[in-house]
Amino acid sequence: MFADLAQLTISGLATGAIYALAAMGFTLLWQTSSTINFAQGEFVMVPAFIMLGFLGIGMPLIFAFALTLAASALIFGVGFKRAVVDPMIRHGVLPLAIAAMALSLALQQGVKLVFGAEARSVPDILPDGVTRIVGVAVSYRDVGVLVISFVLILGLQLFLARTLTGRAMQASAQNPDGARVLGINVDRMILYTFLANAALASIAALLVTPIYLAKFDLGGPLGLKAFCAAIIGGFNQMHGALAGGLLIGVIENLTGAYFAPQYKDAAALVLFVIVILFKPEGLFGRREERRV
Amino acid sequence: MAPETSGAAVRLDGIVAGYGQITILNGLSFTAPAAKITTLIGANGAGKSTVFKTIFGIVRPRAGSVTIGGEAVTGFPARELLARGIVYVPQGRNLFPTLSVRHNLELGGITLGSRALIAQRMEAVFARFPRIAERAEQQASALSGGEQKQLEIGRALLLEPKVVLIDEPSIGLAPKVVADVFALLRGLADTGVTTLMVEQNVRSALAVSDHAVALEGGRVAIEGPAGEMLANPRIKSLFLGGHMEQTG
Repeated sequence: MFADLAQLTISGLATGAIYALAAMGFTLLWQTSSTINFAQGEFVMVPAFIMLGFLGIGMPLIFAFALTLAASALIFGVGFKRAVVDPMIRHGVLPLAIAAMALSLALQQGVKLVFGAEARSVPDILPDGVTRIVGVAVSYRDVGVLVISFVLILGLQLFLARTLTGRAMQASAQNPDGARVLGINVDRMILYTFLANAALASIAALLVTPIYLAKFDLGGPLGLKAFCAAIIGGFNQMHGALAGGLLIGVIENLTGAYFAPQYKDAAALVLFVIVILFKPEGLFGRREERRV
Repeated sequence: MAPETSGAAVRLDGIVAGYGQITILNGLSFTAPAAKITTLIGANGAGKSTVFKTIFGIVRPRAGSVTIGGEAVTGFPARELLARGIVYVPQGRNLFPTLSVRHNLELGGITLGSRALIAQRMEAVFARFPRIAERAEQQASALSGGEQKQLEIGRALLLEPKVVLIDEPSIGLAPKVVADVFALLRGLADTGVTTLMVEQNVRSALAVSDHAVALEGGRVAIEGPAGEMLANPRIKSLFLGGHMEQTG
């Protein structure tokens, strides 16, 4: 009983860590540029297909991933900011959110058109196999996903907190006008967050697609869960996004095992509604005052 | 902490500027003398803050020029102006609330490009503002209003400026703190820093200023030595919100 619960919790944490990577992207973009990126799931799905394209021409996995990372940074970092966010944000948050939804649909249908509707397998960078720790079966893959995700999240947090550029990024997010008068290049700081988001999404693709396979509609549920994770944790807190992602991963795993597998995917939404009703700023969020 | 360079006069010549279709400054011309405090006064909407935004390159003038220390700097971006020792402390709260006091201060020196130089200048600011130094590791949001204003001014001083543009430094502060802030600005001017101040608290501001410029409708209505301006009946009518006829 305990072993099953522990095993489900660990594998839930591993899945949740992937949600957290995407959720942190939501938080980053919201904090720096008031962007709610409803195409976040597709920012994970498309790199998987880009990587498959590179693998298809015989490139080793590590090089295929490195090039995918670069391509994602260009398309979903620089391209997304310049072509979608910059022109749309002038009209407000809502038009930008709708534009992101449209982009999400376009990316889904574009991938379907080029690669078809079949799910495709993606090679795994993590080893197969299971080990036992105090009687609990733990897969190397789950441990690998957790370690990679935590190193990335910790690295990003340390970068933001411990480097001058990271603090300039925080300053640009908290008070862009105040940052500009100090000579901080706010536009460049915002671009860095888009690049960080694209990188997080590509790494999430590398971790999630070997299990869930690469399919044109992979991004929908993934993006929704990441969005719920960011809201549950508190949309204005990076560590909230991490906690939200892990919580959803564990709860949906436990729901699938102890309640009913068909309700597994609803767990994130139920949790989302409960948090919105009782703690609308999220578990770790700060209440924000907006002047009108 | 005293600036090594002597102050630089700030000259605006025929500035026409505004926001979109709205013109705020209508051919504004005046000179703020070097190493003196010049206070801009006027009713709301007279264009006081727009003057600073125009000098600092935030609002691009449609006509006219800005000259500082003899160099034309019209429309220069913030980084170029900061490199020339021209700093701007806007109205309201300009801190980054979740960053520590130390990190807020450090960002004031981001254009210096040297961590060692930033650290050295920060020590000088801490020596000047011991209360800020005591609270260096706390979040900026934990500071009182007066301490926050001290931190903003200290951050501006990190660049050892030649020119300080400060907008409404007294807003939201207790009278004792306002007196301290004005005394600080007076001390800066006495060490050669050209200071331009926008201030609603006109009596107190003029008391520490050398020169004053009263704006109405985006033009200079009257200007002169601060002491004389305080006694001027037309300035008194401005305090009371009365209409001031344009001169010159």
